Amino acid sequence: MPPVLDMRDICKSFGGTMALSGFSLQLEAGRIHALVGENGAGKSTLIKTMTGIHQPDSGQIFVDGQPAVFSGTAAAQRAGIAAIYQEPMVFPDLSVAENIFISHQNRPTLINWSTLNDEAAAMIARLGVTLDPRQPASELTLAEQQTVEIARAISLNVRALIMDEPSASLSDHEVKRLFGIARSLRDQGVAVLYISHRLDEIFALADTVTVMRDGKHISTHPVAGVTQASMISEMVGRDMQGRFAREPTTATGETLLAVTGLQKSGVFRDISFTVAKGEIVCFSGLVGARRTDVGLALFGVSPADAGRIEIAGQPVTITNPNQAQALGIAYVSEDRRKLGLALTESIASNITLPMLAKYSGAFGWIDKLRELADAQAFRERLNIKAANMGVSVGTLSGGNQQKVMLAKWLNTKPRLLIVDEPTRGIDVGAKAEVHQILRTLAAEGVAIVIISSDLPEVLSLADRVIVMREGRIVGEFPGNEATDESVMALAVAAEVA
Amino acid sequence: MGKISSNTLRILVLLAVFAATVLFFASQIDGYLNARLFNRISGSVAVIALIAVGQAFVVLTRNIDLSIGSVVGCTAYFTGGILIAYPDLPPILVPLLAMAIGALFGAVNGFFVARFQLPSIIVTLATLAIFRSILVQSSDGSSITTEKLPVWLTSFATQNAFTVGDLQMRWIVVISVLVVLTAHVFLTRFRAGRRFFAIGSNPDAAAFAGINAGRTIFLAFVISGALAGLAGFMFLARFGNITVVAGLGLELKSVGAVVVGGVKIFGGSGNVLGVLIGAALIDLIDTSLVRWEVVSEFWREAVLGLLILTAVVLDTVLIRRLLDRRRRKAATLAEERAS
Amino acid sequence: MIDRLRASLASWEGFLFAVLLLLVAVNAIASPFFLSVGNQINMFQLSIEKIIVALAMTFVIINGEIDLSVASVMGLAACAFGWMVQQGVPAGVAVALVIVLGILCGAFNAFWIVVFKIPSLVVTLSTLIAYRGFARVLVEDRGIGDFPEWFDRLGQAGLIGPVPLAMLIFLVLATLAVLILQRTAFGRKVYFIGANRAVAEYSGLDVRAVKAKIFIASGAISALAGLLYAARVGAVRGDIANGFELDIITMVLLGGVSIFGGAGTMSGTILAILIVLNLRNGMALANITGHIQTGVLGVLLILSVMVPIIRETGHRLIARMR
Repeated sequence: MPPVLDMRDICKSFGGTMALSGFSLQLEAGRIHALVGENGAGKSTLIKTMTGIHQPDSGQIFVDGQPAVFSGTAAAQRAGIAAIYQEPMVFPDLSVAENIFISHQNRPTLINWSTLNDEAAAMIARLGVTLDPRQPASELTLAEQQTVEIARAISLNVRALIMDEPSASLSDHEVKRLFGIARSLRDQGVAVLYISHRLDEIFALADTVTVMRDGKHISTHPVAGVTQASMISEMVGRDMQGRFAREPTTATGETLLAVTGLQKSGVFRDISFTVAKGEIVCFSGLVGARRTDVGLALFGVSPADAGRIEIAGQPVTITNPNQAQALGIAYVSEDRRKLGLALTESIASNITLPMLAKYSGAFGWIDKLRELADAQAFRERLNIKAANMGVSVGTLSGGNQQKVMLAKWLNTKPRLLIVDEPTRGIDVGAKAEVHQILRTLAAEGVAIVIISSDLPEVLSLADRVIVMREGRIVGEFPGNEATDESVMALAVAAEVA
Repeated sequence: MGKISSNTLRILVLLAVFAATVLFFASQIDGYLNARLFNRISGSVAVIALIAVGQAFVVLTRNIDLSIGSVVGCTAYFTGGILIAYPDLPPILVPLLAMAIGALFGAVNGFFVARFQLPSIIVTLATLAIFRSILVQSSDGSSITTEKLPVWLTSFATQNAFTVGDLQMRWIVVISVLVVLTAHVFLTRFRAGRRFFAIGSNPDAAAFAGINAGRTIFLAFVISGALAGLAGFMFLARFGNITVVAGLGLELKSVGAVVVGGVKIFGGSGNVLGVLIGAALIDLIDTSLVRWEVVSEFWREAVLGLLILTAVVLDTVLIRRLLDRRRRKAATLAEERAS
Repeated sequence: MIDRLRASLASWEGFLFAVLLLLVAVNAIASPFFLSVGNQINMFQLSIEKIIVALAMTFVIINGEIDLSVASVMGLAACAFGWMVQQGVPAGVAVALVIVLGILCGAFNAFWIVVFKIPSLVVTLSTLIAYRGFARVLVEDRGIGDFPEWFDRLGQAGLIGPVPLAMLIFLVLATLAVLILQRTAFGRKVYFIGANRAVAEYSGLDVRAVKAKIFIASGAISALAGLLYAARVGAVRGDIANGFELDIITMVLLGGVSIFGGAGTMSGTILAILIVLNLRNGMALANITGHIQTGVLGVLLILSVMVPIIRETGHRLIARMR
């Protein structure tokens, strides 16, 4: 019997970066197939290609052995391919039953609510769950909304169901129920693709596991034939020759930031660590480990509920970014476009934004010459490539935008610099430059916290590596002792054999 | 499960507010509660309810139609003009004609909003002026007066379909109620009707579900125009004389009725039965203030404005509280799991 | 793409300037009176209240909000003035109280928008109705006139030579508006908050304070404009300034200010104001009535938001032909 969905040699690139290069994957009926890979390995591009959101640049897709082209989501849906995501896509105002049947084209024009509700209830019951089909989706928990999405997929006679990190925001109890649903789908002959960072889940659930890395297919094994350690080494397995070793730390040992028992209900807890002047501390972990939330709490964007923060030995409370800035804390966001820069505004005005008061005199009059001079200085110091400092930031490449964002926060002369994903989506050259900037800053005595999902980056920059998982610190290594395997093993909760 | 849905709850609250308003004025005004009150209010509610239902279709899709008052004025004028030129038109055709004219105006709005994805507030703010100036331009030479119109039309406004005791059920009221019920059935029982909710509730998910947002939004504006056209016909029948200010300000009253009637201003949720009650409530307050001696009748607009604001604030605050509760619930779950 | 957007924005003012020159030329050729000082002043005087409010509206829209209640605040201010004078309040005191009333109207809007985070569209639509309602409560269906002679004269006669007070106020406010929006820290904040509110918050900007100030200023300036209107007409009625919000918003959007906030300039608004004035004046000289003029403005409004789309289509057509 041919596989339900057969992806062969799929390539997809975005503006020069290969997200998928020659990727192949076969999903068979009645099997649960797990897919693992680091952040940025190309998983989301793969899902979007499978569901018709993206069209591959090259390669072929077969459904039941027949060549198929998914021109859009509707075409993939017709072929029986459906996906559910970490953040469910439901209509909050519509009832559970409607959410399930909304995209059915073959139902009668006139809605018979009692039939619809009965059918929906039956559909949900098949998943071993009880939900009132008349309840609006806005009143459901995340897990329940996910169940509704799965029921929608089943009602469309799904042949291959892709589950993208479905357990990331669920409680243990809910995860167990989700597993039950996945197994019953498998027993009904559905091909399930289960994507998760939690390796223990994969051993508990999947029949087969595929490892992907840098858009490429690395291996496919029966789960029985692999160990967590072997999977981890395949996930991270890079050529270690090219790795920059971190020079011995220049840290003066004088503690700048000391965090004790920081907690935010339902987000993170028991976060304790220190950062010394001139030290680079990297937070490693997987997406959803809540590292960014810790950063945002330190910067006052979404303050913690409990815990103690000390800056240079003084206990402080930080409830908004202004206070954080006044204490000498700067936070460079991971999301340049949404949170970092106003793309339509000029480079100079973006750089000076947090320090506007410094540039304005009586009546708030802005000293544009001074502003331009400072921007110009950063252009030289950080090697920002732009026609002039008056052009809008949106016209720059990703790497140069990243440097503008760094300039913006360096201009506040921070004592503590928190950088979230310092090199996401920028090219290799710019990446090396950003790393050099960060090292130089540390050498000048700035305490630096880096949140990064890029393991080689962490290993080449860190004086110390702190690993987080599910809102907690699960381990800490000196920079020269951390390895790909040891960090990844902690991040995915596995014992290295 | 014995739990009242939020939609039903909204309608019950509205009915309660309506009843309380009636009781309040009954205690203030001598001889308030009688059949004349009903007969007086029902005629104007009939017109406003039609417009408000059309507006509800548009608001459900996360848009707004500010041009609706001008559409009412235009259709009343053009329908009257055609009737004067062809007095022998079969009466049954006339309201249909008015709806067609109104739909045409709605299609103009829908075209710009759906095809070019322009913000509906800008487009309809512009067409509010454009349609009004079309009316002014056209009425330059000849105006519509009662004497020129066929007798059947002007007497139609006061003709009763049936009476219950002293309560007179005028034809226009019956038609209007029928339209509201039809719209209600369409929106709650037809798949095509549910699309309006889907688009307003989550446009991204609607796209995933294969719903054509452009077509649905276009349709919402056409329906809004057609119902404004029907309202224009009734306006013509009730007043006979059509001047350049006909229908002025109805857009605000219709948005008021929609919001007070419990349609979410950000789309996706609402009920046209609520809109009917909202329209009736606004008109009840309007009419009663005229008769209440304690304050001047000129408080009408001020009260309407504050009523709309109150409805929006209450809705926003309540919805936010609901979301907060859910978030807390999720946080507790995560806590449980962590420990 | 953003590059092109930027370039097109930069050239939008140039385009407006060309249109303005063309209009002036056409008007001058069509009517010998057009360029006379009397007609020029008259042209400004006829719309002076609207163009003053358009300056404040530019801040509101660049900030990513909208204020539909401005015309009702103008009406309420004028009626409150008339009512107070009728009650025997000295006109000078009444003027001061009316400005305070405008500030209160703006603060009321700001309260719901800033504290309760209710969209400004909904809040100001409600207060559009409510403020107009209060105006009617004050004057009912009467007209109130008989203001002190000095008040009427300020509205109607020239203060410095032939130039009346309102025009001087406009010139001063326009200069201030350009300076504040383009050269001060406050103006910078207005742009950044409109362009990306989250970035502004992450950068430690006082987003709520800026928004509140803008709505309060919008209320105060609308009240001032209402007073000027009362002085110019010499009497007030409940429907005074009714529907002016359309003209005002049209001028701002025509000036290249984006309805989504963050983009546009004060000079664009001022050019658009001059275009609208010349257009109205030209149409009036050609005996086109006020309602039709407003209709033409409606068409212009749609065209101005269509410009990016029209340009895009043009580019695509050209690309296809190649």
